[in-house]
Amino acid sequence: MTPAKNILNYSYYPGCSLHASAKEYDESTRGLFKALKIGLHEVPDWLCCGATPAHNVDELLSLSLCAKNLELSNQVDGDLAVACAACFSRLKVTQHRLAENEEKRHQVAYALDAPLALDKPVKHLLEILATDFGLDRLAAAVQKPLSGLKVACYYGCLLTRPPDVPELDDCEDPSIMERVIGATGAETVSWSHRMECCGANFTLSRPGVVLKLSGEILASAKRGGADCIMVACPLCHGNLDIRQKEIEEASGRHYGMPVFYMTQLLALAAGVSTSKLGFGSMMVSPVSLLKEKGLL
Amino acid sequence: MKHSKMTLSAETMNLGFVKKVEQLSGSSVRRCFQCGKCSAGCPMRSFMEHPPNRIVRLLQLGQFERVLAGRSIWYCASCETCTTRCPNKVDLAAIMDALRKLSWDAQGPSKESLVQLANRLFIDNIRTYGRQYEMRLAAVFNLKSGKLLKDFMLGPSLFTKGKLKVFHKKNRNIGEIERIFSRIEELRRKGEAT
Ligand code: SF4
Ligand code: SF4
Repeated sequence: MTPAKNILNYSYYPGCSLHASAKEYDESTRGLFKALKIGLHEVPDWLCCGATPAHNVDELLSLSLCAKNLELSNQVDGDLAVACAACFSRLKVTQHRLAENEEKRHQVAYALDAPLALDKPVKHLLEILATDFGLDRLAAAVQKPLSGLKVACYYGCLLTRPPDVPELDDCEDPSIMERVIGATGAETVSWSHRMECCGANFTLSRPGVVLKLSGEILASAKRGGADCIMVACPLCHGNLDIRQKEIEEASGRHYGMPVFYMTQLLALAAGVSTSKLGFGSMMVSPVSLLKEKGLL
Repeated sequence: MKHSKMTLSAETMNLGFVKKVEQLSGSSVRRCFQCGKCSAGCPMRSFMEHPPNRIVRLLQLGQFERVLAGRSIWYCASCETCTTRCPNKVDLAAIMDALRKLSWDAQGPSKESLVQLANRLFIDNIRTYGRQYEMRLAAVFNLKSGKLLKDFMLGPSLFTKGKLKVFHKKNRNIGEIERIFSRIEELRRKGEAT
């Protein structure tokens, strides 16, 4: 994987979930980027971004953990590629908050005991694919068009909110996911809950919240005529996929709705071997759907 | 929510607290004109005794005890919908963070202990390991909250799907991470950070 062979190169922050419960997101991201000749070079010794629990009760800690990760990312060349929507959000929020608040900047510099180095551009995979790599090149890389597959693109909360921070797309009416997966020939459905909260990290403390909110999202995707849901966040995935059976039991409704990470579908279209896509790790198996559509 | 009578006077209004919230969150509560848009879009509204717009109103009136007493602030999912839609740029999601921080520091009087426990364990994991190990988080949470091994997080199916790592190793730079935590504590001891 010498950088010279790649069209583009990025430093890469996988985040904690991609090394554990979301390993299929990590594997399919690496598989897809390799197929597209985009280099991903993992930041050494990266640490947890603090996610929601840190900023929930201790903003200074949250900002400091993210600033430390930004500092570490400078060891590797290239803009910082982030897959997890929550890590992406925390890193962008940190850049934003610290740029506008001198007092917080001083406090974080003290915590890190180093001058702050926050300037590396942080980019979500969607932005890299849609903007840096480009949709034309993405469409040209498709070997197995996903035509006939009806996909509900689920943004959740943090890819686009709050305004001015993620700078990924319109904060209330985005289309970047639809555009990216649309490049593979997939059909995207129009549905009501693509930006509603899934219940996020209440999955641990108050799972009842997740059963309600994620249940409404599954019902909405079904009403929209989707065959499957596509996500860009491990927490959303856990709530919609791992909790789906419980949601079905609690609501008495059957969904059987496979929930893919965006890179699983994109890599499938780009011809990456299915053994590298982690379909076996999904609780709601996508095998019969993909077979029915002639994609497996 | 019971509609108990509220008497407003210098004694019953704690405006110093409100100032702290505004300082921590970087957002003014005075700009709110009670349009209710934040509550209309809040996904967690049905779990809260005080909807987001009422929380802002109570803050305007210096009624911080009422705000902190219930579970509302701990049931906010930080989804940023309110902040996104407020016509007056009240950053309600940041205000929620500030309220939780102040409540957390005061060790209560919130009723929502489970969310707080999950937060605490999550942060402890970072300090001890540098990264999050979901399995450890779920196991300790279940143990401490008395849920034991009932929840899905430890379900055998997640093992067979290879989603749970059993071995946790500490980051090589765990010393630097510990230093961040202790230097933040030091700043707070010196009164240089909230
Ligand atoms: S949306 Fe803004 S102005 Fe309207 S009630 Fe909520 S905080 Fe107040
Ligand atoms: S950030 Fe919290 S208060 Fe605001 S809409 Fe989301 S859940 Fe409700």
